[in-house]
Amino acid sequence: MIELFSPAILMSIFTAAIGVSTVILLAALGELVTERAGIWNMGVEGTMLTGCLIAYMVMASTGSPMLAATVAMASGLVVGLLIAFMTVTLRVDHFVTGLGFNLLASGLTLFWFRVYTGGGRPPSYDTIDTLAIPLLSDLPVIGPILFDQHLLTYIALLSVPFISYYLLRTTRGLEVRAAGENPQFLESKGLSVSTRQYGAVLFGSALTALGGAFLMLAFADQFRPDISGGRGWLAIVAVIAGNWQPVRTMLAVLVFAVLDSVAVHAQGLGVAIPYQFFLMLPYVVSLVLLVSIRTRSGQPAKLGVPYLRH
Amino acid sequence: MAVPTLEARKLSKSFGPVRANHEISFAVNAGELLCLFGENGAGKSTVSACLTGLFAPDSGEILFKGEKIRMKSAAEAIKLGIGLVHQHFVLVPDFTVLENIIIGSERSFAVPYVAAAAKLRKLCETYGIEIDPNAQVRDLSVSEQQWVELLKALYFDADVLILDEPTATLDIENSKKLFQIIDKLKADNVALIIITHKLDEVMQSDRVVVLRQGKVAGIRDTYATNPEELTQLMVGRDVSETEKTRTPVGAPRLILEGVTVAGKGNVPDLDDVSLTVHEGEIFGIAGVAGNGQNPLMEVIAGVRNPSKGRISLDGLDITDLGVQEIMAQGLGHIPDDRFLQGLVPEFSIAENLILGRHRSEFAKGNFIDQTKMRDHARTDVAAFQVSAPSINTPVGNLSGGNAQRVILAREFHLSTRVLLANQPTRGLDVGVIEYIYERLLEKKAAGVAIILASAELEDLLTLCDRIGVMFQGRLVGIVDTASSGLSEIGLLMAGHETRLAS
Amino acid sequence: MIKLERRTSIGWFAQLSAYVIAIGLGLLVSALLIIASGASVAEGFGALYEGAFGSSEAILQSLVAATPLIFTGLATVIAFRAQIWSIGQEGQMFAGAMAGYWASLYLGGAPSFIAIPLIILAAMVGGGTLSAFSGWLKSRFEVNEIISTVMMNYVIVFFLSYLLAGGPWTEAGTTSYNQTPILAENFQLPVMASAAKLHIGFLLALIATVLCYLIIEKTPLGFELRALGYNPTALRFKGTNVGRTVLVVMFISGALAALAGVSEIFGVNYRLRGDVMVGLGYTGIIVGMIGGLSPFGALIAALLFGALTNGSLYMSVLSDIPPALVPAMQGILLLFFLCTSVLVRFRIRIKRPAHD
Repeated sequence: MIELFSPAILMSIFTAAIGVSTVILLAALGELVTERAGIWNMGVEGTMLTGCLIAYMVMASTGSPMLAATVAMASGLVVGLLIAFMTVTLRVDHFVTGLGFNLLASGLTLFWFRVYTGGGRPPSYDTIDTLAIPLLSDLPVIGPILFDQHLLTYIALLSVPFISYYLLRTTRGLEVRAAGENPQFLESKGLSVSTRQYGAVLFGSALTALGGAFLMLAFADQFRPDISGGRGWLAIVAVIAGNWQPVRTMLAVLVFAVLDSVAVHAQGLGVAIPYQFFLMLPYVVSLVLLVSIRTRSGQPAKLGVPYLRH
Repeated sequence: MAVPTLEARKLSKSFGPVRANHEISFAVNAGELLCLFGENGAGKSTVSACLTGLFAPDSGEILFKGEKIRMKSAAEAIKLGIGLVHQHFVLVPDFTVLENIIIGSERSFAVPYVAAAAKLRKLCETYGIEIDPNAQVRDLSVSEQQWVELLKALYFDADVLILDEPTATLDIENSKKLFQIIDKLKADNVALIIITHKLDEVMQSDRVVVLRQGKVAGIRDTYATNPEELTQLMVGRDVSETEKTRTPVGAPRLILEGVTVAGKGNVPDLDDVSLTVHEGEIFGIAGVAGNGQNPLMEVIAGVRNPSKGRISLDGLDITDLGVQEIMAQGLGHIPDDRFLQGLVPEFSIAENLILGRHRSEFAKGNFIDQTKMRDHARTDVAAFQVSAPSINTPVGNLSGGNAQRVILAREFHLSTRVLLANQPTRGLDVGVIEYIYERLLEKKAAGVAIILASAELEDLLTLCDRIGVMFQGRLVGIVDTASSGLSEIGLLMAGHETRLAS
Repeated sequence: MIKLERRTSIGWFAQLSAYVIAIGLGLLVSALLIIASGASVAEGFGALYEGAFGSSEAILQSLVAATPLIFTGLATVIAFRAQIWSIGQEGQMFAGAMAGYWASLYLGGAPSFIAIPLIILAAMVGGGTLSAFSGWLKSRFEVNEIISTVMMNYVIVFFLSYLLAGGPWTEAGTTSYNQTPILAENFQLPVMASAAKLHIGFLLALIATVLCYLIIEKTPLGFELRALGYNPTALRFKGTNVGRTVLVVMFISGALAALAGVSEIFGVNYRLRGDVMVGLGYTGIIVGMIGGLSPFGALIAALLFGALTNGSLYMSVLSDIPPALVPAMQGILLLFFLCTSVLVRFRIRIKRPAHD
């Protein structure tokens, strides 16, 4: 077990963690914006799974990661449209909608995957490479960890301050927040609440699907049923643990990513403790986080409350 | 004669079978303060909603500066220059004052903090409002939030301003300040409409439109009328003076000593309150809602526990007892929010009537005694004149008045010794209000100790033997109604505040 | 202009129409799915029907398939009616099976009529405690129950994997199968109809349905459960210990889900394995919701879904359609059901704009 803490392994753990974090981070940032608009989208796991499958099928058929990512994002928009329609227009309970969608996605992706492979061996492909930033990636220690990652990882990390700025300092961002804090405020100013909520849900779903696509393109060469493995749920936990703020959410995501990475390395090294216990860690830690971080001060006041005009 | 700034012609609006407005016609001129006066449910809010674009009227016309307009949304009203100051604030506590005011009018990508702050500062100077544009609204006091609500409408250079019960949460000093601002607005040629049910404010307006049951009951020039005539128009009949029966007050029954209830952070919700209520006494609690009335009622009833102090009922220490145990001692509690705290809206009338006793009196073995529940419900519905299709009707389908009757029925059974009534008549029409007060007086005559919290000072003066004034969780004074009047209590409420300000 | 107006009351006709429309649309989209996958709808639906109802043996098999769904469906109903969105049925089912198996390790050669009730009891305590744990996290720490139950699902499944994959419960000599040794006969649930091995678990499920109905509608606990779902504040104001009620509700829900685990392991497979019950917990959620969150509704939905699952095996043999069509269909049906049950609350009004 002590081998886990050798410098070389630690470096490897953190490098992998930053990479893996992108999957959860994209979903978490998307969900953060969605929740700030008042919609508690529990369908993140299903959306991510959808993005995984779509990206896999496009990549296996065309070999183009860009196309795979784009089509996956488009599928995220479709999912977002469905979820937004049910929660914003029909005002179905948010939790029930999300849960229902997860169940639908789980069944549909399984079915479609089986149809796609036609019962034979699933096609696979080469995962995409990282993009090292010249000069910076040569720095000791932090060089490889932070600057030899995939393009999407850089984008995801840079999104954090941008989304922060958007939510705090732009009129559109403030309007989105108003939808989650007090929709009547928007109504009284003559601004449409549903437009903003639709927009937020679409944005969140597209980002989540992109996260799923990244999982497939960078870390897996084949689709498996339930390949998303609970990462969508971890994204939701990260938003809560991060008190609905982008930077703190990113920190929570990093915690999960490090644990995930530790589990993989432990399995590879053949550590004495059975690997299943390492696999459990992110889920156990998420509960510990939720119990210990009691502040929910950032929770949008009207999160999960379907808005009724009079 | 100048064209009226805003005119309503035969406005009608119905919601299903309910006719909220029926052919309402009136006009307001620039530089004039028009008052819309009427009791709850008379149609005032519906009219103002139509005039500000929230609803489209079913028939009739709205004219703005002589031209017919049809507004499809609140945004159009704002663009035209018709502003609304809401009764229940529509603010985002998380945002700053500035953000609350300018979001919606500024369409640029980044929020123009600097430019908007300058404009806001000028506005504040003009009207004598002191507020920090960068303060977070959640940190402001209630009256400061009212100014923000007002500034929201002023920022748009409105030609017409409708103020909906603007002094509901203001104390006497800030109310005066509001009317000073109104005078300034009049001088600036803004047409103003104030919706209120307070007679002293009505008398400060230029003209009054009295609404009754959705129709215009009369339009008067204020200098040519008086409160009695206006009240008669509002109610439609002579209002009888409720005879104050001076029933004798008995021995002390409910005693609170130094009761403190912790709140969020360092500020307690209830701060060192001591009072005694006697048998057959109605003890009133005056004060704007939110000053501790709820924690007071909840701590006596056992919903919350005090952090300090002692509560006793006929000698028994009930400080740390739970709700069920205190109920068993003969205490009934009519809570502040009838649909949120007092009832389960999806449950039937019968089920709501046994709420709290579903495990005790109305249980038979492991099951609920359905027969007993139904018989009990039929009796109560008749005795308390609850108007409903059947005892199985979900309580959420009932009107506010009927829902309150259900709560009354339930709590009256329980209150053999103490009755806590928290804002029992809020939002109800005069008929139901009179009924409730009659039943309260019955309880008083039967020797029950009653605590009555109400925002209507006049009602408290009529009904209560003594009145305590609450402010920010403290009991700041107790007056005897036999020897004090409205002005004294008002002074107590205001006097405390001026003491704090200095 | 088309406006949606809220109805004041929903008649039975409207409710029935909602179901019919949902099922119709669901079947339509499923048919489209089959066509898109390149197979024949007639073949697919035909084989599905054959496999589910084609013979008396098939019908009995459908009942066997429905049994765990009845339990997880009831578990969902109990929790969701109290507006506790527990999705831990999957983990609680496994926990029940594991607790039952653990008990069997200590019951040696005990006769069936002693061993089996004890196993069932152990299972119910196992599943109930796991579920109550999430309930405790909710009342005490305000941890969202959706999250805590799904997290525990993963934890339980990993734990089971540890126990079975070369761990303490693995069958000796076969490290690649991830299963326990076969259960002794005294632990196997008695069979009612030997043709399809319909075991008493089905009977227990029927009894559980009736009990759930009685509890929810006729007892003080059910009164509190329903009130909890509608307005916990009013309950609190009347002195009900809301936290305690949440624990009790969650325990019952978990105990019911656990029985699904008992049914599959002790009634069908006679071995504890990680792969045989997968998805039954989550399908139970669909069953509960489509059943309108009522015990008898869940029963009917479970029977229907059990039939579908049973039929899907036959369908996959007879046509090229993967059995995974059925989970997809179930999800589609659910979503349509959710939409129609909300839409049924509204009436469509076409209004002409007001004239001068």
